[in-house]
Amino acid sequence: MMTDIVFVALSIFAIAGAIVMILSKSPIYSALGLLITMLSIGGLFALLSASFLFMVQIIVYAGAIMTLILFILMFLNIKEEDLPKEPKKYSLVALGILLVLPLNILVLKAVSNLPEKDLNIVDGNFGDIKPVGMALYNNWLVSFELISILLLVALVGSIVLAKKRKPKENKGEQ
Amino acid sequence: MNTPLLVWIILAPLLGAILNAGFYFYHIKKQKISDKIFSIIGTGTPLIAFLITLYLFLQMKEEGIIFTQNLFTWISIGDLTIQMSFLGDNLAIFMSMFVTFVGWLIHIYAIGYMKGDDAFGKFFAYFNLFLASMLILVLADNPVILFIGWEGVGVCSYLLIAFYYGDKENVIAGNKAFIANRVGDFGFLLGVVTLFFAVGADSLSFSTIEANISNASSELLILSGFLLFVGAMGKSAQIPLYVWLPDAMAGPTPISALIHAATMVTAGVYMVARFHFLYSGIENIGLFIAYIGAFSALFAAIIATKQQDIKKILAYSTMSQLGYMFIAVGLGFYSSGLFHVFTHAFFKAMLFMGAGGIIIALHHEQNIFKIAQHRAQLPIIHFTFLVGVIAISGIPPFSGFFSKDAILAAAFQEGEYLLWGIGMFTAFLTAFYMFRLYFIIFVAPTKNVSQHIYTSKTITFPLLVLSIGAITAGFLNYPAIFGGETMVDAWLVQLNSNVIHMSHSTEYILMAASIIVAVAGIFVAYKKYAKFDIYKPESEKGIIANKFFVDEFYDKIFVQASKKLSTFIDKVVDEKIIDGFIMTVCNEFVSFGKKVATIQNANVRFYAGFMLVGMSCIFVYLYILLGL
Amino acid sequence: MISLSSYAFVSMMLFSIGVIGVIARKNIFVIYMSIELMLNGITLFLVTFARYHFNLDAQVMTVLIIAIAAAEAAIFLSVIILLFRSKKSLDTDVFTTLTQGEKS
Repeated sequence: MMTDIVFVALSIFAIAGAIVMILSKSPIYSALGLLITMLSIGGLFALLSASFLFMVQIIVYAGAIMTLILFILMFLNIKEEDLPKEPKKYSLVALGILLVLPLNILVLKAVSNLPEKDLNIVDGNFGDIKPVGMALYNNWLVSFELISILLLVALVGSIVLAKKRKPKENKGEQ
Repeated sequence: MNTPLLVWIILAPLLGAILNAGFYFYHIKKQKISDKIFSIIGTGTPLIAFLITLYLFLQMKEEGIIFTQNLFTWISIGDLTIQMSFLGDNLAIFMSMFVTFVGWLIHIYAIGYMKGDDAFGKFFAYFNLFLASMLILVLADNPVILFIGWEGVGVCSYLLIAFYYGDKENVIAGNKAFIANRVGDFGFLLGVVTLFFAVGADSLSFSTIEANISNASSELLILSGFLLFVGAMGKSAQIPLYVWLPDAMAGPTPISALIHAATMVTAGVYMVARFHFLYSGIENIGLFIAYIGAFSALFAAIIATKQQDIKKILAYSTMSQLGYMFIAVGLGFYSSGLFHVFTHAFFKAMLFMGAGGIIIALHHEQNIFKIAQHRAQLPIIHFTFLVGVIAISGIPPFSGFFSKDAILAAAFQEGEYLLWGIGMFTAFLTAFYMFRLYFIIFVAPTKNVSQHIYTSKTITFPLLVLSIGAITAGFLNYPAIFGGETMVDAWLVQLNSNVIHMSHSTEYILMAASIIVAVAGIFVAYKKYAKFDIYKPESEKGIIANKFFVDEFYDKIFVQASKKLSTFIDKVVDEKIIDGFIMTVCNEFVSFGKKVATIQNANVRFYAGFMLVGMSCIFVYLYILLGL
Repeated sequence: MISLSSYAFVSMMLFSIGVIGVIARKNIFVIYMSIELMLNGITLFLVTFARYHFNLDAQVMTVLIIAIAAAEAAIFLSVIILLFRSKKSLDTDVFTTLTQGEKS
């Protein structure tokens, strides 16, 4: 019973945050909307007995990525006139809803044909740190190593991209 | 009987041509070669050809055989094989005898005529090539090889007429000759094809066609006979394809003598005689040929009476005499026609060479009145010219009388009185205009006589030899009523010609009639021209003097129409319609492509939106497919 | 009763809103955040099915997806800084030098 109410509340927060994100004019408001959505999704992970993932979502997504986005937003010092003018925002949203409808109907119909199961919260042998770690290091070792290389590349890449250029004609250096 | 010698009759002049051409290239590129070398090669090779022909002739006379030589199989398609082979039967060796002999004499004459010309070597190369082509034509074993020679003489005629190509008029005359010949050649080719189709044998040699001729339906034979004669019309300058012959006089006189008097123009008569087995069966076409010959003879004679250029008079006279030959072969009297070819070669070549001698002596003056005004003392040429004029008018005992009289008697015997009448009237005109020419040039009183004259032995020697032939050649076919053996008729017995067989009295009367007509012509010419005031030449106006305006008529009908048609096709059809259509299609494609290219506008959101549209369609399809 | 369909519904809603955000907005930050939202929707879907089938592989996949999203964030934001430096605008319609049509 309780879980149902929690689920509904978290879902409403998630969807509301998403809607706020795509409809706001100022990017700060959008970022905050996204933050709410991230946190709600973390909660939904917890309802699905994925305790490790709940923590990873909060730490990495809400804590690192959203912080990075907000930091860059402030760093660029965006004024009102830098923002693009979007006259046809709502009509494009309506068009998008129309285009995205078939996918939704297809997936939901397909999923509803699956047999019913109970999705109660189970205890700590499923979704806890240790089982996830064991699965990660036993079955998915190669992917793990590759992901670490990817993170290294991203690290080096972002430094190279944002480096100060040699003194040609520069615009707006710090 | 097979012999390896036959092809050397052709190869000798052909090698002479190649050698002369090679030496001529060397002469103009590297280092000059003396004219003597060109002359020796140029006159040596026809002599070799004549000697071989003479040798074969003597053998044939002794043993009564015919010679053949097969070189190789040329074309072999399906059932049809065409051999590259040559046939030396009585007819071929007869033609080849006088072609090589007269050709040799004219080559000697050309040494003197072309002396000092820069392109001396080129002339002899072309000349030998012509002789080789004519011999291919005469010695051919099947119509296809004959056509090779036929085309070859046409090409050499073009090359030699336009020899002085610096003057544009000569080139135009050469073109006219070639194109008019081409029209005839087209007819000839269609005739050969029709004949092949009609007879349906597996090889095209004359003997095969003759053996299988009964297979063919008579309509097809009539058609092919007519088409073959169209070729002869072009090559032998009969109506309506004669227009090239007068203009061909623009070439040097030796070629007028050889090509347009003695050899090439007689190729048509030879061809009809060669196909005697075809024409004997279709008498209507034969009659048509005879009438065309008669009208050409009359037409040319009328025009010649008012011409003022010495060579043009001789050209029209050639056309007129060719008409006589066609009367003979058209009525089936093949050997009589060929006998006239033989005698005509002698006296016409002599007349042309004499005219050439006069022209050279007076530095290329060709108008008869001007020639008379500057008359030069040229006794040998005077003598041979007189011989030739008498021979062509048909006065006995010179050769022209016997051959022409045989043709007129043939027409009378066959009951074609209209042909006979036209022939008689033309004989009158022939005597008239030939003596007009003689009187004006040599007899009419003149005031001054030229001093600086040029002549040489190479010019006079051939003239003398030919005059002997012109006087005596008639005796080769001396009619039976005078007690002679008709040797030419006997030699050409393979052709199954009709023979003259009428009562002696009729023959005597006819002979007397033709002599009277000729003398009458000479008399009228004498009265009019022997004391003509050459300082007041005849006017050039009037319908006859303008050759009945035929050239202008052809120009308007054919040439202008073709020009208009080609201009129309070039400017309207090609540029506007075809190009326009294709370019419009092209431009439509390009503009369509430009419109489509605007989709690539580098806007990432736009691309994502398009991807989404595509994916939605796929999802709708999947939904329907999965039947959820 | 919450069931598989409800979770599927929520995750598809989030994913769709992300798609709509990519095509409807011009602001490059909003586009980026919509991409992150799409990724989140899919991770929710994955975790749902991990619980449904009682299999931990989907949860491991989710961890990896989150790691990739982090790497992507670093690069994406560096590029946004570069673009802002060169064109002084956050409008994606401005960056069209590779166009085939008329150059604006």
